[in-house]
Order: sequence, then structure tokens, then C-alpha cells
Amino acid sequence: MIGRWFAFLAARAIVRAGARVLTWLTLAAIAVAAAPVSLVCAGAVAVAWWCGWQPRRLLAAVAWCGPMVAVWLAWTASSAGWMAAVSAPYRALADFWRLAGHGDLAGAAAAVAPAAIPVGLSAGALVWAYLTGSLAAGVGGLSPASAVAFDRRQWRHQARSARARIAMPGAVPLTMRGDLVVAGAVIRSVCHRAGILATVGYQRMRSHQVVVGTTGTGKTTLLLRLWAGFMATCLRRHAKGLGAPPLLVVLDCKGGSDARRIAERFGHVLKQAGATSTAAWPDEASLSLWALPPRQLTTTLVDLIEHGTGSAAYYADVMDAFVALAVEAPCGPPSSAKDLLARFEPGWLAAAYAGAGTAADHVLIRSASRHLTDVSLRLRTLFRRLGPGLDGPGTFGDADAWYCMLEGTDQIPVAEAQARALVDLLAHFAASGPSQREILLAVDEFSAVSRRLPIWQLCERARSLGLAVQVSAQSWQGLAATEDERYRIAASAEGGIWLLRTPHPEPLAALAGTRKVIDTTRQLGRFPAWRRRGSSRLVDAPVVDLTLIRSLDVGQAADIYRGGVTYVQVKQLDAGRGAARDDTKACPADLGAGANDAIADERPRQVQWPAALPDAAPVLDAAFGPEPRP
Amino acid sequence: MPSPPAGHADRTQRADRERAGLIFVGEMYGVQIDQLALVLDVTPRRAAAVVARWRAAGTAESAVLSRGPRWVWLTKAGLATCGLRYSPGTPGLSRLAHLRAATAARLAFAVAPQFAAGGAYWRSERLLQARMGGRIGQREHVPDGEVHWPDETALPWAGECWAIETELTPKTAARTVTIMRELLTRTGDYGCLAADVQVPGHPARHARAVYLCSPAAVPVVRRARAFLGTLGARVEIRMLPAGAALPGASEPDREEHWR
Repeated sequence: MIGRWFAFLAARAIVRAGARVLTWLTLAAIAVAAAPVSLVCAGAVAVAWWCGWQPRRLLAAVAWCGPMVAVWLAWTASSAGWMAAVSAPYRALADFWRLAGHGDLAGAAAAVAPAAIPVGLSAGALVWAYLTGSLAAGVGGLSPASAVAFDRRQWRHQARSARARIAMPGAVPLTMRGDLVVAGAVIRSVCHRAGILATVGYQRMRSHQVVVGTTGTGKTTLLLRLWAGFMATCLRRHAKGLGAPPLLVVLDCKGGSDARRIAERFGHVLKQAGATSTAAWPDEASLSLWALPPRQLTTTLVDLIEHGTGSAAYYADVMDAFVALAVEAPCGPPSSAKDLLARFEPGWLAAAYAGAGTAADHVLIRSASRHLTDVSLRLRTLFRRLGPGLDGPGTFGDADAWYCMLEGTDQIPVAEAQARALVDLLAHFAASGPSQREILLAVDEFSAVSRRLPIWQLCERARSLGLAVQVSAQSWQGLAATEDERYRIAASAEGGIWLLRTPHPEPLAALAGTRKVIDTTRQLGRFPAWRRRGSSRLVDAPVVDLTLIRSLDVGQAADIYRGGVTYVQVKQLDAGRGAARDDTKACPADLGAGANDAIADERPRQVQWPAALPDAAPVLDAAFGPEPRP
Repeated sequence: MPSPPAGHADRTQRADRERAGLIFVGEMYGVQIDQLALVLDVTPRRAAAVVARWRAAGTAESAVLSRGPRWVWLTKAGLATCGLRYSPGTPGLSRLAHLRAATAARLAFAVAPQFAAGGAYWRSERLLQARMGGRIGQREHVPDGEVHWPDETALPWAGECWAIETELTPKTAARTVTIMRELLTRTGDYGCLAADVQVPGHPARHARAVYLCSPAAVPVVRRARAFLGTLGARVEIRMLPAGAALPGASEPDREEHWR
């Protein structure tokens, strides 16, 4: 009985081994018989592996073969009938072997190509999908660790392909049809539609966004690209009559020489993107705080001055009353800081309100004399802090793009006052500016100056005014002072979150949510052999791979949006300084081509015709009639 | 000394006008007889007779190329007679509407009193194209004409050069903006070295760009001008003159909508 049992086991083993050998032999025979298909299949898998492609990329290649196959079959049908078209693939294979047998390898390849390429690519897609799918599910490879090694290797391949794509001239335009801003080349996408280029819809640019990345990870490069894309897209939409002209305001709250360097680059890039004019505040351009309506000017001025709490609040009320008297005087609001300070000279208020104002005003003015010096002193200190940048002529409407540098690193009180004033000015411009603009407010390291204007308050205020706010910081902690504020900012980023390399990505990555993945256990035989037995189950896994975020290279970013993530190799804008000065380009598609800096620097600025040309209407009216009315 | 016979002065004047008309036709690629009649200051019937004489002399050809009067253009011999070094050829059918509009614009300028008073003259698109030669890959935009106002006259705009653009059909605003910018920032003459086309620091060639538009093109041109900002102050917009449309053009383009 035992002998029979062993005989049965031996027979079963022999039959199994034989069946397996027979299967492999059959597959090998088919592969050899259809050698062209096998070659294409192997090549497709190799290319997909080398470039880190998804299987659907191979299927897309199959679809591109469709016209070739259609023409080939149509030609066969027209020359030899429909039956010949049906058997054409077989005949092509037979012709291949016949021609190859005669040594005509080129003819053989040409004869079989229309059939072998699409079939081989399809087979390659199937094989590649099987390989990647089994490894992702944990059932492929010699051990469960194989999937991890495969994933790392594929990431390297995908990153290399993305770098190669952005290095190709013209392969990554700044904008695309459909009002899309192109950030760079896609490395990998999870729960997002797979594509070659990473694009951001214009509507996303008009929503709040958060950008987090440590120094030296390419955050400025990414931001410059997004800003230039916003400018070019908005200008194009405006030219088509689809929207208002753009206004980009950047608040760089760090300041210092680094901010000046970025401001210079900002100007060049934005001009190449089509901006008519750019301004660097306060170095090259100024704004006028006095453009605010009198009542709002009073509120802003009083808010800009720090007051104590408790009994000291009394002085805040006193100051508010006197500043209101000076600003809202019957002769009109002040036009400069000097003008306002002059109004606190003894006797000025009494003279200004003579024959005007209410009885309460006059009572207040009579009692004001002992406080006027104190109020004037505090205002003088405020204006010294604000500097001349807010006292000069100009409004946000004077330029398409503003780069505002606040010295938040070494002069925090100054930067805080400036930030508050700039935000008030922008809010006023957005609410009642002379012309409607589509405004993007980008704030970098705003937490450095947000003590008196919480950033979440800025976001909510901006939303009510139709502004989009782009908040960037070097870390999660740099977003805001408290954890509650940070979550409020991150949760309001309906335009997406851009994560560059950062050591603490968990809170932001968690906002991407989870996805269903197959978790497989495998039985361990004798180490290191893992058997192919085990169990699988569906589990929730984070969409964002935290390890990947921590190891992102310079110029790589993760675009977290609507429960998915796209890893992007950001394309750097190469804006030559000379080219940027040329404001004759309306909406270039790409900023890839820089100009020769040395030559451009030698060129003087173009002499313009005088702004006011003599009126030529007499001759034009005589010849063609008056200008048509809108 | 015997005095010239009666009517001699009229004949001389007529002959001068016919010579000027011949040059006019050569500069404008081709002209319809009703417009030629305005140039010669005669009736269309008389203009047709003049054209018949030109044909007999081999200096011009005429044919019905579109609805309305016949088109006239110069032959190689006619161009040589006028001293115009242009390539001879029949006006392209696709350009007939454009040619008629440009001719109408030139004629409208010519009747303005300031034009004669200022000694202004018209440089046609054909002349500008000829100056540029047959440069392969040339992408510069050539206006439909230039009006030059010589210095030393009392006119306020003396010394200026205007680029004239006739807009029959609306382009995209972006394209129109690009053309406007190119016209207003160009510094070199047509046919100059490529390096001289736009030289920062040099005065712009065209002080103004005059856009003569059909009703359909006006909104786009106006939007493009607004988009230029301060540069837009140098763009003038007017309607195309009466008779600028080809007879039988589509209803919106009919001249009753134009001035």
C-alpha cells in the first residue's frame, strides 16, 4: 500500500513536471514561430521598463498603429480580395519566413511589420500589465521585498524619463490649449489621469493653493513657472474677451538680498510671459496709502499702530478719533504722510473745521491740544517704519505684476506694518479699483509677518473679494503660528497643494486621503525562499508616499489635488534678461529660449514716441469719418 | 512763336493723368475700373476706353475677376514702361477684396485736403514687398500701405510715417495685438538688414498705425488696442470708406453699413 502511494506521488510529480515542460516548450515554439511578434513584444516590455511607462502607454502606441494597419488591410483587400485581407497576418508571417530564408531580412521585416508591430505591442502591454500588476499586488517577484525594489527602480526610470522630456527643446510649453498651465513633465501619478505633461487648469490658479518645500528644493522655480503660466493664460483669456486682465501680487516676507535676486528674475520671467510692466516694491516702484478712501484710511492707519490692551485701549480710541478728524477734514483727505502730520500742528484742525463739522467735532478739537503731540509722534514713528514705499504715487493697477519685498527677517515690526498696509491697499483695489482684474496674491513665508494679520484671515478675506491666494512656506510649521491655523489654511486650498521635499509632510499628505490597494501575505518556506501561497485583502493605503516626498530631488514636486497626487519634474523657465526686457511679445507659448545676455545688456532701452502725439483726427476724419463708437 | 492749339493743355493734362493712373495700377497690383475712373477723374466709361488703349499698347491687361467692373493690371511691358521693378502677374482671386479695400483707403486719403497740403505720399504694399525681396522664411508683417508726411510743412504730424492696415475680416485679438506691436515697435525700413528691424534706442518707424476696419472687425481691433496699454495711444481706428467692399460682398460687409 505504501509502495503504491509513493508510486502515485512519483507519477503525479512526473506528470506535473511534464505538463509544465510541455507548456513551456509550446510557448517557446509559438514565440519562435511568431518571432517578429515576440521581438516587438520583448522590445516593448524593455522600453516600458527602461522608461518607467504605464501599460496604457503601450496600448496608446497600438492605437497609433491603427492607421497603418487599416491602410495595409485596405490595400490587401483591394488588390487580392477580402478573404486575402482576413488571412493577411498569416500570409505576412509566412512571407517573413520565406524572405528570411532567402536572406532578404529587410524585405522580411517590411512584409511582417504591419501585422507584427501592433500585435507585438499589444502582447507587450499585456505582459507589462501582468508584471507591474503582480508586483504591485505583492504576488510577483521572488520575495515580498521584490515589489519594493521594483518600485524604487521604476521611480528612478520614471524620473529619468521626465528629466529627459523637460530637457527636450519645446517639449514642455508654458501653457496649453484649454487654459492649462504646464508645470513640467509627469514622473508618476496616483489616482490622477496619467499623462505626459503635468498641467494645472486656470480655474485652479484662481483658487487658493499651498506650496511647501524646504530651501533649495526648487520652490521658487515652481512658483515662477506657475506665476508666468497664470499671467500668460490670463492675458490670452483677456485677449479673447473671456476675462479681465491679470494682476499678480507677490509678497516676499523674508526680504534681504535673496529677495532682490528673485525679484529681478520675477520681472524678466513675467515680462516674457506677456506682462506689460512689472514692479518691484519698494525698490523700484511705490504705492500710495493715500489712495484709500478716508474712512478706510483712518482704520488702516490706526490698525497699523500697535496699542496696548486693558486701560491702554483708551489711547487707541483717542488716536482713532483724532486721526479720523485729520483724515476726514472738510478740505479732503491728506495726500502724503507729510500732509497728514501737518494736520496735527496746533490750530490746523480748528481752522479746517471752521464753519464746518458737527458740534461734537468742535468739542473734540478743543480738547485735542494736549493729545496732538502724542498722536503726531506715534504717526511719525509709523511712517518711518513704513518707509517711502507707501507714500509715493502709484496703485496696483500701474503694473501687471508686483513683487513686494518685506524685511520680515530682520525688521519684523516694519514688515508687519507694511504687510498690513499692502493687503489693505490690495483689498481696496480689488473691491473698488478702476478696472476689474483677475488677481492672484502669492505670499511667501507670510507667517513671519502674520502676527497682526492672521493668514487664515487673509485667505478668507481674499475669498470674499474674489482673489486667489497662494501661500508658500518652507515647512508645515512655517505656514502659520498655530496648528489650528495651519489646518485652516491647508483645508482651504481647493486649488491644490504642492509638496516639495520636506521632512514633515504627514499633515499635508494626509489631506490627499487613502486609496484601496491589494495587500498580500506570502508563506515563508525556508529562508530566503517565499512560497507562492498566501492571502490577499483590500486595505486603505495613503495616496501620497511619504518616503517619496522625503526623498524628492531638486525640481521634483508632488501636486496633491482632489484625492490624487501627481509627481512632477518641474521645467525651469530660462528667461534671458535681454529677452525679458523686450515687451513686444504678447503671449509666447514657451519661455524656453533665452536671449544673449551680453548683447542685450549693451542695448539701450527703446526710445518711445512721445506719449501724446499730435492729434491727427482732422485728416483721418476728413478721409474716413470719425472713429466708430463702441 | 505760334501759340499751342486750343485744347492742347487739356490733352497734356489728360495724358499726365493717364500716366499717373498707369503707375497707380502698377503700385496697387490691380485696380477695378470704377476705382481707376476716380484716379483718372473721368467717368467709368471713359476709363474703360483708356484701359482699351493700354491693352492695345500692351502695357495692361484687363479681365472680369470678380463681380462688378473689370480688373486692370499691368503687364511686364507696362511695369517696365513705368519703371516699376515688380514681378508681373494677374491679381490673386483670394486677394481681390483686400486689394479693393487698400485702393479705396488710398483714394480716400488722396481726397483729404491735408494730404495734398502736407505733400504726403503713399507707399504701397507691393513696393514694400518688393523692397523686402524674395527672402525665404521672412515673417515680418507688411502693412497694406504707408503714408509718409514730409517734414517742413505746417501740419502737426509732419515728419511722421503711418502704417495703414485694412481689416475686412476679424483676426484673433492676440494676432491683432502682435501685428500692432510689430508695426509700432519696428525701427527699420522694409528690406533693411534683419538686425535693423527692431533696434532698441532707435525711434520707431511708424508713428501711428491706422486701422481701417469693416464693422465686423472693429470690436477685435478696439480690444486689441486696449490690450496694448500706452502703446495703444498710437493706434487709430476708422471705418473703411464707402466703396471699399467688393460688389456682391456678404450682407454684413455691405457698404451701407460702412461710412
